[in-house]
Amino acid sequence: MYEGKVTHRALNQLSFEVEKGEFLAVMGPSGSGKTTLLNLISTIDTLTAGEILIDGVDPHGLDKNELALFRRHKLGFIFQDFNLLQMLTVEENMVLPLTLDYVPTDEMARRVLELARKLGLESLLHKRPNEISGGEAQRTAIGRALIHHPSLILADEPTGNLDSKASRDVLELLKSVSEESGATIVMVTHDPIAASYCDRVLFIKDGEFFNEIYSDERRQTFYQKILNVLSLLGGNVNDLSAARLP
Amino acid sequence: MTFRQLAYRNVFRNRRSYAAFFLASVFSVMVFFVYSMFIFHPLFAEDGLQQLAVRGMFIAEVVLYIFTLFFLFYSMSAFLQARSKEFGILMHLGMTKKQLNKLIFFETMILGTVSTVAGIALGFAFSKFFFMIGREIMELEALPLYVSWKPFALTIGAFASLFIIISFVSVAFVRTKGILDLLQGYWKTEEITQSSKWLSALGFVLLAIAYALAAMVSDSTVYTMAFIIPPIATLGTYLFFTHSIHSLLQLYKRRRGVYWHKTRLVAIAEASVKLKDSAQMFFIVTIVSTVAFLTVGTLASFMSYTGDFRESNPLGLIYISFNGNSEEREHVDRLISQLEGKELEYDMVPLIVKRQTSTLSGNDVDIVRTSDFNRLALTLGFNPVYPQSGEGIFIPYSQESLEELGEVSVETRLMESDIDLSIDEVYPHVMFPVNTVNFNSIVVNDSDYAAIDEPLAGFGDGESTFTYYAFDIPDWEETVSVGKELTGIMQQAVVQEDFRDLNFFFVNPGEDYRLFKSSFAILLFIGVMVAAVFLLAAGSFIYFKLYTGLERDRRQYSLLVRLGMTEKELGKIVNRQLMPQFFLPWGVALLHSTFAFISLQVVWDEFAELSILGEMVFVLSGFTIAQILYFFLIRWRYIEHLRAS
Repeated sequence: MYEGKVTHRALNQLSFEVEKGEFLAVMGPSGSGKTTLLNLISTIDTLTAGEILIDGVDPHGLDKNELALFRRHKLGFIFQDFNLLQMLTVEENMVLPLTLDYVPTDEMARRVLELARKLGLESLLHKRPNEISGGEAQRTAIGRALIHHPSLILADEPTGNLDSKASRDVLELLKSVSEESGATIVMVTHDPIAASYCDRVLFIKDGEFFNEIYSDERRQTFYQKILNVLSLLGGNVNDLSAARLP
Repeated sequence: MTFRQLAYRNVFRNRRSYAAFFLASVFSVMVFFVYSMFIFHPLFAEDGLQQLAVRGMFIAEVVLYIFTLFFLFYSMSAFLQARSKEFGILMHLGMTKKQLNKLIFFETMILGTVSTVAGIALGFAFSKFFFMIGREIMELEALPLYVSWKPFALTIGAFASLFIIISFVSVAFVRTKGILDLLQGYWKTEEITQSSKWLSALGFVLLAIAYALAAMVSDSTVYTMAFIIPPIATLGTYLFFTHSIHSLLQLYKRRRGVYWHKTRLVAIAEASVKLKDSAQMFFIVTIVSTVAFLTVGTLASFMSYTGDFRESNPLGLIYISFNGNSEEREHVDRLISQLEGKELEYDMVPLIVKRQTSTLSGNDVDIVRTSDFNRLALTLGFNPVYPQSGEGIFIPYSQESLEELGEVSVETRLMESDIDLSIDEVYPHVMFPVNTVNFNSIVVNDSDYAAIDEPLAGFGDGESTFTYYAFDIPDWEETVSVGKELTGIMQQAVVQEDFRDLNFFFVNPGEDYRLFKSSFAILLFIGVMVAAVFLLAAGSFIYFKLYTGLERDRRQYSLLVRLGMTEKELGKIVNRQLMPQFFLPWGVALLHSTFAFISLQVVWDEFAELSILGEMVFVLSGFTIAQILYFFLIRWRYIEHLRAS
């Protein structure tokens, strides 16, 4: 449960587990509490009741300093607007989480190169964020979220600012990361297409659990199922993408 | 909402970003108004010290006007540039360029009106206080407050004209760029422009040359150098901030082992962006601070002149009577009676000085006999001297001459009276002020003195001797107005540059001291106020730059917090990127000033023979403390703002 400035329970009676290596999408209409949920898991918002366990640890019992270290080691972040530091190069943005931890320079350089190959960023390592495209910027952000091998990656509308081609690239990348490296990903999204890449979709409404569905083999049918739940969910129809899966 | 209301609301709601340079303009208006109050004061119509004050303040007003014009010019351009996104939206919504100009014009005029009114109000409120300072400094009996329309009219006239100029000019700042460019806003300009290797090197070379020249300045070159060094140093400073420093950072960044370490990555990258983005601002702040340091430093060094005064002027009063002075007795009696009237203790020692020509140099020498000299020395609490027959002792005329003459040893002959003398000693105290004594003055044994019987070549007996009345007065500062008539006659002769009818010479060091002290204090007072305006303006540039970048910084910090940066690490980053912004321009200005004062010392050595080191250290450390306080104040505000998210 969470209380904001205006006392209002943004989340209530919500309980779920995420498996190690699972790629989970959280969907819900505007105001349903998706962002609050993400902020709570990111430890930048505080709980008024209940608990969150990550790797068996409740980060909300930690002090400020320990929290920072917790985020630094256990969590990776991907944002809608990429949030890259403009003054750093692609490569420097990626190593940022490592620099804080006295990781040897050779090791950092090795990891950057390895990730850059996987993300297709090898030729862009010395560019600044304002010299690359949105898709490239988001791939850089994914690199930053992966470089320190976090237990949990939190993605907030990662495709919200991308065109469909770049979105597809990013989602396929996330999926392969989750499958190959066993990274656990929680992604908040509005977009049923994005959600259809996940293993499971969790729907919330007015801060409460509404429904959850699991992916079967085919993405097309999963997408259809998601749309069905969304129409049941009601909310603002304009929030939903009316597009058919390409 | 009317158009004017829009303008008014823009100013009022942007007050936080306007705050620093609004403060600087208000302060500038206030100082200007206070000076005007002095200038138009009825008491200041008199001659003398007041005249000096009026002249100094008038110059200060001109300086303030010009400086404020440039200051506002620069601030407005930076401010309007920072608001380009807002203007982009307005134009996107269909505002014409003409309307936009009108909006900016209104806004500037509102800002001008408010600062002028606030400045005058503050100035008037504090004028009593400033008059008190002025009265103390000029040692006036009273400096009453007065009411006149003149200072108001001058200040309003000056600043109205100034803001009208700025209003028209600032309209031109919003270049007719495309709406798209405007919409992208201010921070879009965060590009990596490569700094030129050659210009970077040139920056260092020019600074090195300027410093080397300043350090090597000599008596003969100082005036030429005064025109050569400043342009070199200015250009060097410009290149230093626009290129050299970035090349240095570039080199640093190449060393990953050092750069990719803890908070350094973010801190250095951030600091270099800020330094690059504000290179021109840093250049301006550096130059302005240097000028402020130099102004106050130079004026403070005048004050050290008064500090040395007593050492070079141990006598209370000096009256010298030359041949044909019929009023000698009368003048001396009157001085004595005036001293007694003021109940001042005194000892008077008359010295009969003989003049002869030295064969060695061909110059004439003033000769005092041991018994007279020792009487005066003992009165002043100095040791007596006992030269043998055929020996002479130099009489020093300044602290520096003490050292110089100490190394001189001469064999000479007094031409007219054929007396051989060997002189290889100097009396260890300055007794006679520099303007009352011949540079070639010696003490000789009484018998040698008696043997001087021939007049100075080409002169009569009377012209070959004169009487030097030396007064020792323990309360020497109290002698103000003693011998007023004599001082008056002396001054007249000085003004008319005609000393022919003058057969006496009178010096009242106590009065001179008061005059020196007051005039230097006035100049220092004026200078400090102007320097304060300069420094406040320089500070407001820094504040303004920080403020316009705040939104972006805030986003960046919240990201860093998410990525797991601890508060301590964030604090480190804030420090590391704020410090160069505050202390780099200031440090360079300090270095500039130090070298400038090294060359200035040469001028002073030539002029007044005194050391300005102590005053310099005092002035520069004063500014340092002020800057550190300002840093902590801004850091505190900045961190509060960042946390607010």
